Amino acid sequence: MSPTTRLPARATTRRTVLRGIGVTAAAASLPHRGFGQAKAPIQLGFWTYDNPQQRPWLQKRVKLYTEQNPNVTVDFQWFPFGDLGKKISVGFATGTAPEGFVSQDWFMPLWFDKDLIAPLDVQRLGYGSLDKFQSDFAPASVSSAIRDGQTFGYPLWFYGYANYLNTKQFKEVGLDPDKDAPATWDQLGEVAQRLTIRQGDKFVRQGFKFAMHSAAWTVIQFNPILLGAGGQWFDTSGKCAVNSEAGVKAMTTRASIAHKYHAEDPADSIATNPLPQLDWLKERCSMFFQLPLPPVLVEKENPAMASGDYYRPVQYPGYVAGKGISSTYGFNLVINARAPKEKQEVLHDLYRFILSDPMDAWKAAAPFPLALKGGWTEDPLVQKFPHVEEILKARDNGVPLPRCLVYNEMADAMHRAIQSILLEKADIKATLDTAAAEIDRANEAYRKS
Amino acid sequence: MSDLSSRIARGVRSRSATRPRPLFRLRQRTNTRLWGVAFILPAILFFAVFKYGPMLWAIGLSFTSYDMVSPPRYVGLENYASLAGDPVFRETLINTLVYIGGSTALITLVGLSLALAINTRVPGARHCMTLMFLTNLMPIIAVCLVWRFMFNPYGLVNQLLHVFGAGRIDWLTSSATVMPAIIIVTVWRFAPYFMVVFLAGLLAIPSDYYEAAQIDGANAIRRFWHITLPQLSPIVYFVIVVSGLLCARIFLMPYIITDGGPGNATRVLSMLVYETGFSYLKMGRAAAISVVLFVISLLFTVGQMHFFARSEETFE
Repeated sequence: MSPTTRLPARATTRRTVLRGIGVTAAAASLPHRGFGQAKAPIQLGFWTYDNPQQRPWLQKRVKLYTEQNPNVTVDFQWFPFGDLGKKISVGFATGTAPEGFVSQDWFMPLWFDKDLIAPLDVQRLGYGSLDKFQSDFAPASVSSAIRDGQTFGYPLWFYGYANYLNTKQFKEVGLDPDKDAPATWDQLGEVAQRLTIRQGDKFVRQGFKFAMHSAAWTVIQFNPILLGAGGQWFDTSGKCAVNSEAGVKAMTTRASIAHKYHAEDPADSIATNPLPQLDWLKERCSMFFQLPLPPVLVEKENPAMASGDYYRPVQYPGYVAGKGISSTYGFNLVINARAPKEKQEVLHDLYRFILSDPMDAWKAAAPFPLALKGGWTEDPLVQKFPHVEEILKARDNGVPLPRCLVYNEMADAMHRAIQSILLEKADIKATLDTAAAEIDRANEAYRKS
Repeated sequence: MSDLSSRIARGVRSRSATRPRPLFRLRQRTNTRLWGVAFILPAILFFAVFKYGPMLWAIGLSFTSYDMVSPPRYVGLENYASLAGDPVFRETLINTLVYIGGSTALITLVGLSLALAINTRVPGARHCMTLMFLTNLMPIIAVCLVWRFMFNPYGLVNQLLHVFGAGRIDWLTSSATVMPAIIIVTVWRFAPYFMVVFLAGLLAIPSDYYEAAQIDGANAIRRFWHITLPQLSPIVYFVIVVSGLLCARIFLMPYIITDGGPGNATRVLSMLVYETGFSYLKMGRAAAISVVLFVISLLFTVGQMHFFARSEETFE
């Protein structure tokens, strides 16, 4: 018998206790060491835009994922909304683009054209097939991500614009916000005219207001008018078609609120408001087309409006009552095509994890809807949210923003045109001809390059 | 004497005896030069890497098509040819020239007028100068935002004009008034700075000249025309060139106050460079616009040099 066999018979010594602790500690460390060896450390870069509700939620989900997967670290960075696309472009140019990022859906054609983003493996995202993947999202949303039978984006947020009414002001002028909510463009002008209050050449209250401060808003707000009038941004040959008969009709409608109904002052808040919807929130205008409005923003800017609950969204007017369409846009989670394969795989898992709890997203970022159709809309918390049905209807019935390779140039050309028409009363047809020519030149230059 | 002469002679001899040989002297001179070069080398390298390098790179880039993603591709003069046929570029070029011309002229006139007023040494003039100079110390973003609000149709400027019976002026939303509005902000910002430069020039003119002219019966206008202006001409030249170059590169003012609008009324070349490069991802074209802007600045400076050289000859 070896001497050790006699040990149990001996009293517990300090040495045996220490040895025991050592052995236990070593045993306890084994699974971790084994895990660490199985999964090598992975460092990812991830960029998104800033938004007071959406960005913190996204950051929280990423942090949660890294806590559950200690081998993964994510350098999470965010930028102002308008700067994200430029930052990513410069990142690609300098080789510093992140492995994953949130892309505004109007940039997708550009990333496609330059082969900058990688196709996603729908099975790794938890879908049996591309069809099942597509059917899970709002159609206008997922359409931005699909190319050549593959998806290149995992739709995250997607929302439609709605006409926000100040119901108190409606009642003040004897209008019923339920019955008299404008359903056609003519009605919009007439209702806006009734809601307008002027003192000489000064507007005390504008009945309706189009945003005039940025090219992005110009396109968002003009898009459904153009498509509703039967027009289109580009014809089948790729030539800009905003100067068509339908385009002129749409622009005439766009200008009518100021020029025909005298219900808005396009020069007023062109560049003075930090938020485009501030005139409406401060009750200086009665109606405004905008994206879903977070109650926290209403509370912050106009507590009386929030506590009195005298606002509501309704669908866009149309050329035919009930046929109004909303302008929509969204955001996709995408993967840099230059990212190594193992990083792409981890990003798939990360994206799947981010969207695995849609209700968590709604709780953090309501009323910004996810692009996901189901898995959250039926929840009582969502159902109880004020006017959620209008918000979701705008999302589901909306038309996407024009998707083209020269989006920024197109938006700038249209912005210049609208400013000339609204502020200088320039001839609509001639101005649209100029804009269309500018857009065609930009397209031509892009093709050449 | 003879002792002194002999000592001097010895000294001369001894100096000539210790004088270094020509080859050594050459080495020493080269050494000194090398040390001099070594001392200024960091500055030369700094300018080469951070100033002239990028400049040359931009000129090279202007002959390429470069979207910041794919490598640059040589396209010859295509960028310049397409600029010549682009109405937006032409309009922007005209805006830039109008802005440079208007701002430079007014900055010079207002700066000189303020300096002449301060130079009269009326009580409180120095305090006024300090207050005026504060416009240069304010952050440009804040300045632009404040002026944007002041030029609102219902803003302070219109409120003040209303007191004098003026109607509403859409300062920032009418193509007729928007460029003057931007020029007003520019002059408000920069004229006090150049006022100080003019004042330094005015103080350097000897008072004897004025006294002599006064004795000869010259009135204030003649004294200004025949003494002040010729004496100040190098300063005037400096102010025109520097303010002109400053205005040629202006970006933030039109960008923040109007974003180039309404329409295209206040879009200047530097804004177009930024938009073309970073928003439209056409770096080659943006570089070509930069080169045009550089050429304008160069012509402006050379033109001024010739003009003032001839003026000085006339004065002399």
